Amino acid sequence: MKILFFTGKGGVGKSTMSAAGAWQLSQKSRVLLVSLDPAHNLGDIFNITLNQKKTPYTSSLFLKEIDLQQLSHDYLKREINVLSNSYSYLQTLNLDNYFSVLRYSPGIEEYALLTSIEETIRNETEFDYIIFDTPPTGLTLRFLALPKVTITWIDRLIQIRQKILEKRYTIQKIRGPVKEGEDNPEIVLAYNEKDDDVLKRLRRLNDNYQGLTKTLEGKDCSIVLVFNPDILSLKESQRLMEGLNDLNLPLRLMIDNKVTEANTAMANQVEENIKTFAHNVPVERIYISDRIIKRTEGKLCDIPEDIASKLIQQFEENV
Amino acid sequence: MHQENACALTIVEIEELENIFALLLLGSFVGFPSPPTFLAVELLPFMEKELKMLHKRAEDTGDMLAEMCGTLGID
Repeated sequence: MKILFFTGKGGVGKSTMSAAGAWQLSQKSRVLLVSLDPAHNLGDIFNITLNQKKTPYTSSLFLKEIDLQQLSHDYLKREINVLSNSYSYLQTLNLDNYFSVLRYSPGIEEYALLTSIEETIRNETEFDYIIFDTPPTGLTLRFLALPKVTITWIDRLIQIRQKILEKRYTIQKIRGPVKEGEDNPEIVLAYNEKDDDVLKRLRRLNDNYQGLTKTLEGKDCSIVLVFNPDILSLKESQRLMEGLNDLNLPLRLMIDNKVTEANTAMANQVEENIKTFAHNVPVERIYISDRIIKRTEGKLCDIPEDIASKLIQQFEENV
Repeated sequence: MHQENACALTIVEIEELENIFALLLLGSFVGFPSPPTFLAVELLPFMEKELKMLHKRAEDTGDMLAEMCGTLGID
């Protein structure tokens, strides 16, 4: 299974390119196209109505739009369910309120987004290609950076937790199982690493993120950068490339979209400039179709350039 | 009695550690800058004791001297 991320500045044609790529790839392989962009237009491009579930477009092409708000909502709901299992009834009632505030806390959206990417990669193994159409640069970089930041954080927490359990174990050895307070003698605290829910959860999260980082940095994952022949798009692409470099993520193809005869000079200049940042990454130029400019036709399957073969090629080159 | 004495200090240490753990993880709930809100949410269901500890520490900080005297067994 190969994973592709289409990134770039807003409006450069990420969605269009990822849709075209997905469509062309789906002629020979099974493809799932996932839109992570809050301003969804995947459904508009294919002219169908999409919901949270994956929807078949053809027998080999499936589409899915991810609703961030719904996602954070579902995520918190799931947590509240775990909560009500661990806590007594009254406390849950109070914390329920608490949680509704958490929904607006920073970080939840990126986290929910990352979780959904992780789940998609883990669950949709029957597809040959999973293509992600990402939201604008800022958010994309933040959620791509999240696994690494989180791993560091989890590592530290695990260390402290282990120390706590170690000490609990010592105390237990000296005077029998540690009791929590006099009023609640029946709750026995975990002192064994295998019994501690917090540590177990931390470990599981750690495994998840390690796996995800490995997948994202691995040879089956690829970042495709889409840009336009203009300075603004060049600047943002540079920033994105620096970010990807810091995160050790594999940029493998660049697409110079919306090139016309009039802006060819500019396209050359921008392409040259962008190549200095990523030496070995091929640049593919996509000319805008006359028919689209004249607005006589704008169907997706009319994109004449063969993006699919380029997408496949970059994987083969890197094996 | 001897057993209690033997582990008294370790118990204090554990309480401190648990407090630090809770503070790192749930710090944002008490106004402490703490980056990973989602981790806090993820672990919240299992953090009942730590939350209580956090609360207790916050209440006791006003009287650290008494706390220390208690720990060291000074009457």
